[in-house]
Amino acid sequence: MRKIKLFMDTLIEIKIATWNGTAEKEAEAAAERAFEHFRKVEQACSRFNPESELMRACSIAGKPVNISPYLFGPLKFALEVANATDGRFDPTIGKAMEQHGFNQNYLTGERISTASIDSAATYRDIILDESTRSLRLKKPLIIDLGAVAKGFAIDLAAAELNGFEGYIINAGGDVYARGLERKDTPWKIGLQHPVKTAEVIEVFDISNQAVCTSGSYERKNEDNPENHHIILPETTRSPNRWVSSTVIAPSAMLADALSTACFLMEAEEADILLEAAGARGRLITPELKIVKVGGNKDDI
Amino acid sequence: MGKMDKKWVVLCSAAVAAVYAGGFYTTEQDAVKMESAHYEFLNKQTNGQVSNPNKEKTNSLNSETINTPKQQYRDGTYTGMGMNRRGEIQVSVTLKKDKIVDVQISDWGMHYSEEDVVNLPDQVVADQSYNVENVSGATYSTEAFKNAVQDALSQAENS
Repeated sequence: MRKIKLFMDTLIEIKIATWNGTAEKEAEAAAERAFEHFRKVEQACSRFNPESELMRACSIAGKPVNISPYLFGPLKFALEVANATDGRFDPTIGKAMEQHGFNQNYLTGERISTASIDSAATYRDIILDESTRSLRLKKPLIIDLGAVAKGFAIDLAAAELNGFEGYIINAGGDVYARGLERKDTPWKIGLQHPVKTAEVIEVFDISNQAVCTSGSYERKNEDNPENHHIILPETTRSPNRWVSSTVIAPSAMLADALSTACFLMEAEEADILLEAAGARGRLITPELKIVKVGGNKDDI
Repeated sequence: MGKMDKKWVVLCSAAVAAVYAGGFYTTEQDAVKMESAHYEFLNKQTNGQVSNPNKEKTNSLNSETINTPKQQYRDGTYTGMGMNRRGEIQVSVTLKKDKIVDVQISDWGMHYSEEDVVNLPDQVVADQSYNVENVSGATYSTEAFKNAVQDALSQAENS
């Protein structure tokens, strides 16, 4: 069973293995429910829709705003990663993204332009209260959850499909694979070649793991090709140390956030981060040298 | 940096559990908002802002035309085609009261027939690792997809 739909400006594909007698009808109904999670996360976390929970919350500084678990969960996680990386990864990058031209709603074609904000704002200006599930901004800022929202939606969709022995969710190159594709055959996930994009550069056998890649080759700034969609908060520029950063982890949200964080780091830092997080990855230089990071170097 | 592997995986699962525990399903309000975004998308297309030289319709959509009771599109599910680097793409678009309620790639919604399953293992051996369907790091271009959606919309148009 295979279905593909459009959410979050990308194609989301769900495949459920039916080699083990899984009924097509059941699989289709479950896939529909899984897709709904992408819709909900997009509604809650979109930076491109002024009516999203995220953007409504960003328009109010100084007082607490109650938010749904569709926004609270990924935001809390993004703050944890920001904390662990001392702000190298920072979800308050939204305004800088907007200024770099990543400001267009893919459905309406409209460009957003938010009020001018304090450029010194960081993740430390976001206060979450778990008991009331509320968010308070210490100063006006724009949150971008581009590095976690898709991963979160994949994790939610995966939870919906967990009754099936084998399935795969591919959200525009961020993938979660469960169980086996066929009897005795794990899912194979290719890592896209950063230059020859029709080819893959490496293939992983994956079961119960997510593989997420952040590549500088996918979403270039139209006006300034030097800038892509991954921005270093400190300089608000795009680093070009790597052309792609891939992380394999048990959760898609984890892999998604870490692949972005690693993109912004030196190999040694990325290695320490991934090892501590129980994840592994691949960093690819502009000269196409593949650097293994995290995990056990002997078995990957 | 200490070991935080458990902590982070636990945080991810807790975020998922919070959604499920809350039984947090769409409020009607949110659904309406999402649809209104689709609705504007629809209007943009008929205004020719999404390029389609075959479209001649140039009605300017102000609040009056939006409120016109006659629907611009017939309700139902329509099929459209577009092209991208992966080849031809076919979508099915479901419309209800001039709103796009669902968009699905239909020509990839294939079902394995028994024959397909028999051949698959051979294919994997033959292709080895360099021809895998699931690729990390490949964001599909949505341009072709949008053209296909527009194609479907033109078929749904009320004359």
